[in-house]
Amino acid sequence: MKLVIGGYAQGKLEYVKKKYNVKEEFIFDCALPTKEEIEKINPEEGDVLVVSSLHKWIRKRIKEGGRPEEEIASFVKKNPNAVIISDEIGNGIVPMDPFERVYRERTGRILCDLAANAEEVERVTCGIPQKIK
Amino acid sequence: MVTLIYGGSASGKSQFAEDTICSLCKGNKYYIATMKVGDDEENIERVKKHREQRKNKGFETIECPNDLKSAIPQMSKSKNALLECVSNLVANEMFFNGEIIGKEDTVEKVVGGIKELADFCDNLVIVSNNIFESDSDYDDITLSYMQALGEVNAEIAKNSDEVYEVVVGISMRIK
Repeated sequence: MKLVIGGYAQGKLEYVKKKYNVKEEFIFDCALPTKEEIEKINPEEGDVLVVSSLHKWIRKRIKEGGRPEEEIASFVKKNPNAVIISDEIGNGIVPMDPFERVYRERTGRILCDLAANAEEVERVTCGIPQKIK
Repeated sequence: MVTLIYGGSASGKSQFAEDTICSLCKGNKYYIATMKVGDDEENIERVKKHREQRKNKGFETIECPNDLKSAIPQMSKSKNALLECVSNLVANEMFFNGEIIGKEDTVEKVVGGIKELADFCDNLVIVSNNIFESDSDYDDITLSYMQALGEVNAEIAKNSDEVYEVVVGISMRIK
C-alpha cells in the first residue's frame, strides 16, 4: 500500500492519477470499496485502486459509530496494491468542539499506522511530491 | 545539544521526541510537562497515555506549567530533559491567573526560560506544535497566541542544533 498525504487542495489526487495512470472507475472518494464493487470493475494486472479523501471517510465512520481503525487495516490487507490519499488535518488550533478533537486525534493515529505499514509515503505540497518514506 | 521537534496533533512527535532523548541519554532524565491538567477528563486521559508510553524509559516528571526556569533547581540527577510542549507553555504564560499578558512579554518570558534551560542542559529535546495550517479566521486573542507561538518556535529553531518535523509518524530533518 502507498500513502499520499498533504494539505487541502494541494493536488494529491491529480498527482496520483497521473503517476499511476488511474482509470476514473478505480477511484473511490471518501469510501472503501467492497469486494463486490471491486469485482464489478474487474481490475487487471497493473490497475491501481485509489481511495481518496480517507479523512472524510474516517469522519463519517466515527459519526456512524464504526471502527475505522480496524476497517482500514482489513482493507489494506486485502488490497495491498491500493493507493490511499488523505488530507493532513492536525496542523491547526485545537478545535472547540469535542467531536472535532476526537476526529483529529483518531485520524492522526490512523495515518501514523498506515504510514508505518506503507511501502511508500509521499507528501504533496503545491502539486509537488516529496517522498518521505 | 538542543533539538526541536515540531509537528501537528497526533503526528507521532511525542514518540519521536522520546526516542531522540533516549538515544542521546541512556540514564536518568527529566520529562518537563507543561500541560495544566486540572480536572479535565480529556487531559487526564492524555497524560495517562503519555505516561504509559514513556514508562521504563528512565524519565522523572517535573510539572512545570509556568516559569520554566523554576524546573532547573529540581534537576539534581541529570542534565538531560524532554520539554513537552511549548504550545501549552505559551498558552499558560499568556493566559495567566485570568489575565491576558501581551504577546511581546509572553514571547520574552518563554524564550528566556527556554534559553536558561538549554544553557543548563547537556541535552534538551523540545516539542512544539504546528497549529498554523488551518483557517486563520480567528478572534484577536487566538491570533495573538498563534503569533506568539510562531515567534517562539522560530526563536527556538534558530538556537537549536537540529530541527525535525514529524508527519504521520515520519521524522524529517529540516535543520
